[in-house]
Amino acid sequence: MSYKDPIIHIDEQLCTGCRRCAAVCPVGAIIGEPGHPQTIDAHRCVVCGQCVQICTAYAADNESTTASRAVKLQERGQLPNVREPLFAAYSSGDIQKVKAVLADPKRFKVVQCAPAIRVSLAEEFGLPFGTLTPGKMAAALRRLKFDRIYDTNFAADVTIMEEGSELIGRVMSGERLPMFTSCCPAWVKYAETAAPELLEHLSSCKSPMQMAGALFKTYGAQLDGIAPSDIFSVAVMPCTCKKFECSREEMSVDGYREVDLVITTRELASLIKDQGIDFIHLPDEPFDSPLGKYSGAGSIFGATGGVMEAAIRTGYELITHEQIPNLQLDFVRGEEGIRTAEVQIGELELKVAVVAGLKYVDAVLAKVAEGTCPYHFIEVMACPEGCVSGGGQPKLLLETQRKMAYQARKSALYRHDSHQKVRKSHENPDIIKLYKDFLGEPLGHTSHHLLHTKFVDRSFKEEMS
Amino acid sequence: MNNVLPSPFVIAEAGKCIGCKACELACFAVHNDHNGVVAAVGTVTVPVIPRLHVVRTESFTLPVQCRQCENAPCAEACPVQAIRREEGTMVIHEESCIGCKGCAMACPFGAISLNKAFSNGKVVPQIQLKERQHNAMVRSAKVIAYKCDLCRTRDHKDGAMGNVPACVEVCPVGALSLVHPDTSVSRSRTAAAMRL
Repeated sequence: MSYKDPIIHIDEQLCTGCRRCAAVCPVGAIIGEPGHPQTIDAHRCVVCGQCVQICTAYAADNESTTASRAVKLQERGQLPNVREPLFAAYSSGDIQKVKAVLADPKRFKVVQCAPAIRVSLAEEFGLPFGTLTPGKMAAALRRLKFDRIYDTNFAADVTIMEEGSELIGRVMSGERLPMFTSCCPAWVKYAETAAPELLEHLSSCKSPMQMAGALFKTYGAQLDGIAPSDIFSVAVMPCTCKKFECSREEMSVDGYREVDLVITTRELASLIKDQGIDFIHLPDEPFDSPLGKYSGAGSIFGATGGVMEAAIRTGYELITHEQIPNLQLDFVRGEEGIRTAEVQIGELELKVAVVAGLKYVDAVLAKVAEGTCPYHFIEVMACPEGCVSGGGQPKLLLETQRKMAYQARKSALYRHDSHQKVRKSHENPDIIKLYKDFLGEPLGHTSHHLLHTKFVDRSFKEEMS
Repeated sequence: MNNVLPSPFVIAEAGKCIGCKACELACFAVHNDHNGVVAAVGTVTVPVIPRLHVVRTESFTLPVQCRQCENAPCAEACPVQAIRREEGTMVIHEESCIGCKGCAMACPFGAISLNKAFSNGKVVPQIQLKERQHNAMVRSAKVIAYKCDLCRTRDHKDGAMGNVPACVEVCPVGALSLVHPDTSVSRSRTAAAMRL
């Protein structure tokens, strides 16, 4: 394993042992007696950060037994002027490092944001759930002195080109079915840990974040005439596990890290506040071309069912060479749990499943292992409603608002999609140009080198002994 | 207001409480509109000052909060009449509070705490009173008494499901309840009669 920091921590000075985190942990990684501080089994932990989201054991300012706030902020990698309360469950921060790099004029700083950031970032500044702010987000990043405001959504479109082509190939040949999505790093880590014998069922595609990183330091470097060694690549993610993913040894291109640092939605908000940027009154600004231009399909990756919907929009047209009759595929949209559907694509009846919440995947894996799983394509997202509910997203003060928040964030993603001129990945002009000028064709030689990966057996310790 | 009916109050069951402090956090969240606190933890810029307090002992955890006493000793102890009954709830009028601590001392439940007053995310300073900090004289912070007001001024746009205080609503194990003594007592009376 290439990472040292387990990323998710429980502060034993603050933990009250209520074990609400254990109730939401999908993999039973939280160990301890009720009423006593809990610990995390880092091997089992998939770093999804749901424990960070649920924890209410905050540090009261007058708790004399705890280390001073300044010490804790430093330990947690947060900025020293953060004013929000500290909780027992937390994820390691990287924002101090990002702040230092942004102050270095010699580095060419490139940033990408996941689809789910633009529908939740505004909550950190007191705006209502579901406020959509791609333009303010881009403006804020520019004021933070990033040299290029690129976007994960662009790479989500690339993912559809690669993963869609892979799916078509595998369905036609009948090989290694069902095929699972591989965008969610917590799901990938779980598959590697709990079902290493089934890893060939995962799509070989890297996640959109890693694809973006690989393209920034190759295609992007060429476009800007910058040496890849001068590029510093930052990703803003709704996800704590993306910190783990970016540190995976194999996530490098020609000797460079694809993504140098990952920060969460909350960390980005803390830096915007630290720099005194008035987020609410920022103008709407565009992303930079070409690696920041995306289709509606790219933007819905942030909700459960979004990858599936985007893949069907493109897969349908690539297979049938006809326009898909309806772009809005309500049958894959939904909430926590498993949804299944059959989609008629020309002659093919494509059987698909969408798994939202990692605890629901075991039943599917068991079917795959015994060879009775009826689906062709299965999307898995570890968090309850996809990335909008990720462990790095704005944390709620009231549990009673959680459903409402997730619903509003998802609605905003779908609204964003429906307002885009281009709503299919393969029709994004910058994707067409990327393939024409640089990648060649999906699953081609360059794609294989940059955009595809292999997975690692991380079997449970106790099963190995 | 006819006060023949006894006031409702919030009470917790020690056997159920798991000590998660969700009640404290919710209490703080719904009482801080004036400090810019909205849904996200990131909107918090002031210390979390709850109006109920989870007590931890060797054998149990339990939130303690105001009983909305009928003959409220806190109000009796207040020299400036800052504590008044409003629609069956004992309410501290923060702008009148002089921070004398009389109410906190008088309360047999320890349900009142004194803390700095905040507004717009900043400490409210005294008008005249100053103190020495790092060799400079600065205006002291205004200190006020805080206690449970049964969320009487709560804006129910925040996803509230019923007309119960935020602590009751968020408790994940149902350890807190809003007790209406009149209905509660008559229920017990009926139950007792059935056993006779």
